[in-house]
Amino acid sequence: MVGVKFELEEGWHTYWKNPGDAGEGASIEWNLPEGLIASKILWPGPHKIPVEPLMTFGYNNEVVLLTKISLAQDVVFPLDIKAKVGWFTCKDICIPQEGEINLKINQGNKIPTTNSYEIDSYFKSVPTTFNQNYRVEKLDEKFFLQTEIGDGKHYENVYFFPEEYGLTNYVDEQKYEKNLNSFILEVNASDANLNLQTFTGVIEATNNEEPSYFEISYPLTTEESNAEQSIFLLIIFAFIGGLILNIMPCVFPILSIKILRFMEHSENSTIKTYKFGLYYSLGAIMSFLIIAFILIFLKASGESIGWGFQLQYPLVISILFYLFIALGFMFMSNLVFGSQLGQLSSIARVKNESLESFLTGILAVVVASPCTAPFMGSAIGFALLQPGINSIFIFLSLGIGFALPYFILSVKPSLLAFLPKPGAWMETFKQFMAFPMWGSALWLLWVLSGQVDTDTVILVLIGGLLISLSLWLLEKNTTEVRFIQWIVRLISLILLLFSLWIIPTSYSEKETETELVYSEAMLKEYRDSKELIFLNFTADWCITCKVNERVALKTNAVNEIIRKKNIKYIEADWTRKDSIIAKKLEEFGRTGVPLYLLYPSEGEPIILPEILTEDTLINYLSEIK
Amino acid sequence: MKIFLNLLTISLLSGSCFGSTLIDQKAPDFSLFDSYGKEISLNSFEGKKVVIEWTNHGCPFVAKHYKTGNMQSTQEFTIENDAIWLSVISSAPGTQGFVSSDEANELTASREASPSHVLFDPTGRVGKMYNAKTTPHMYIVNKNGVLKYEGAIDDAGGRGFMFKDLLNATNYIKKGLIELSTGNKVSTPVTKPYGCSVKYAS
Repeated sequence: MVGVKFELEEGWHTYWKNPGDAGEGASIEWNLPEGLIASKILWPGPHKIPVEPLMTFGYNNEVVLLTKISLAQDVVFPLDIKAKVGWFTCKDICIPQEGEINLKINQGNKIPTTNSYEIDSYFKSVPTTFNQNYRVEKLDEKFFLQTEIGDGKHYENVYFFPEEYGLTNYVDEQKYEKNLNSFILEVNASDANLNLQTFTGVIEATNNEEPSYFEISYPLTTEESNAEQSIFLLIIFAFIGGLILNIMPCVFPILSIKILRFMEHSENSTIKTYKFGLYYSLGAIMSFLIIAFILIFLKASGESIGWGFQLQYPLVISILFYLFIALGFMFMSNLVFGSQLGQLSSIARVKNESLESFLTGILAVVVASPCTAPFMGSAIGFALLQPGINSIFIFLSLGIGFALPYFILSVKPSLLAFLPKPGAWMETFKQFMAFPMWGSALWLLWVLSGQVDTDTVILVLIGGLLISLSLWLLEKNTTEVRFIQWIVRLISLILLLFSLWIIPTSYSEKETETELVYSEAMLKEYRDSKELIFLNFTADWCITCKVNERVALKTNAVNEIIRKKNIKYIEADWTRKDSIIAKKLEEFGRTGVPLYLLYPSEGEPIILPEILTEDTLINYLSEIK
Repeated sequence: MKIFLNLLTISLLSGSCFGSTLIDQKAPDFSLFDSYGKEISLNSFEGKKVVIEWTNHGCPFVAKHYKTGNMQSTQEFTIENDAIWLSVISSAPGTQGFVSSDEANELTASREASPSHVLFDPTGRVGKMYNAKTTPHMYIVNKNGVLKYEGAIDDAGGRGFMFKDLLNATNYIKKGLIELSTGNKVSTPVTKPYGCSVKYAS
């Protein structure tokens, strides 16, 4: 081991291998006799040296740079070791310096000297591999380094020195947060978007004012490059997805009934039906584009949304439920879907068939929306990760795929020649199509039941009943007497409005409804009824909590399993000090958040690790009984 | 339809703010006095490519680039390619690199340098606007005033710089100018700038 010592005057410094915003680390060019091999420079842990408004990394006053020199073969003593050293000494200005090293090493036993003592002490501050569990996540232009502390040794402070340019911002403060068995470090990403593959560097962990240095390196997922490769594939998939949507139970009945009407028309003239197809396609594609714009807009305004978000709102689900009930009823009854629907909706009191086709296109997209969620959720979710313009293309392709079959049939109704001649069977078929509609309604109700309590579900069911009654009244409203006709219409309108009025809107938009607020009584109640409970102690200011929530707790896969296993998810929010929560934390020997408790139906709760990953969390959740 | 258009603009805007470097964005305009007392603004060069050099003659990194003739040859190449070369000094008064007009002109003459203008930025306002960190720190602005390159002058940075032969290094400015004359893209738009810290007023 050879050490090169740099003694600088007070206030001067020299640099680490990554000098930070300016400067340059030292270089040593060895000139060794045959058979000797020099290692790279072993850099002792660096210090922060701010040079307003910049930040540099290096050593103040004194440093010993170490090099391991090993024997590759037998050598002849004495050994002549020579090196040329170049370095910068800087204060507010920099001075380049050069020096030569000449060493003669004789054969013999190791004798401790002050020099060897100094080398040893500097060798201790050379970073070693970090042997704790850690991970690095990049969220919103910030890196989060999360580490488990196994041996209970805790650090007052931790600082990350990046090895390469373009990874982190050197000047910005790093936020360090200490938990019971883990810590998290928040480091702002660099403005230079170089898309580095790994998060590599050295962490300085201070314990009792004694710093220790560790090397870390963690692979980063580079989202952007992956996404760009598959954009065309995504567009194709979106197109195919759009095609398949046509035969989903939500959409198929509506389309098939519209197509049956082509057959009637086609016996007269072909030009007309082609026009309907065009308007229908326009309506459908435009609706998809509007959805795309809304999603991009929401995303730009900072909302974290994925596809299927529409099914997180009880209001939307309830309205869709009514819609499916009503459509089923129309299929079943003599209320002709379409022109009569035009009468129902205040938007279009029209007999104009082009406009009707356009509205049908919009309607088809609306009724398709619940079906797309479970079916294409991940694909569309991925599309939303794309820059704005790409997700527009994906939605466009989805819309084109969706509209295409209908359009083709409208251009060439003769393709339907294999079907029997129009006749009474069409009415039977139309009535039968009410069942997939009601089936979809049932599914929506099931989704809703996961979000609101039973009473509210019953209320929505009553709304469905009222809507049916209102439609039935309209259908039977064939009396000649004007006055009575209007009274009946008024009654159905009141019924309709009333059914809308009872929809659960009071639920806040963003909270998933499975989330409950902690109280001791609630916990006891669930414990008594032997429910599975996930208790999340969190706080807005707790970085660890927020990162865990984003990468594990609030992912779709985890939500899914919580819903499926009917695990009661309770949040104990400690953002503001709360003595009840503090007491509960104390029970588990904690003085702070995060704390994750998973209660089996009987027995003691399991304490989950402070650092959650989606995989470990799913493991815990699926095994709990 | 109007709402539709508004949404479109919003989405396009949101699409463009993903990267946070200045690259591929309009280079911030500035107006500074040159060593002949003339006020020079970046916008007035629209239609020509502009190379901006942050400099400090006392910095050993800068000094080596001038001593070896590397900086001068890059300047000549730039001027020959009908582009503008601006040397900006952001050293605060009393710090290294801060010079008077006469000293600046004297330096240009003695080093046989050929910048189009030497500009003074003693408050560091423009330097901070461009996030200039080191001397040298180089920028290329294209004909439409869009920033296309930011970083080092060449790939000779890194430890052992003082021992390196600069004339064998890959010169990012020459390369960038050549690439911009045939296309609108620089293959390495961002590199790590190296050198002394810019001596901003603290």
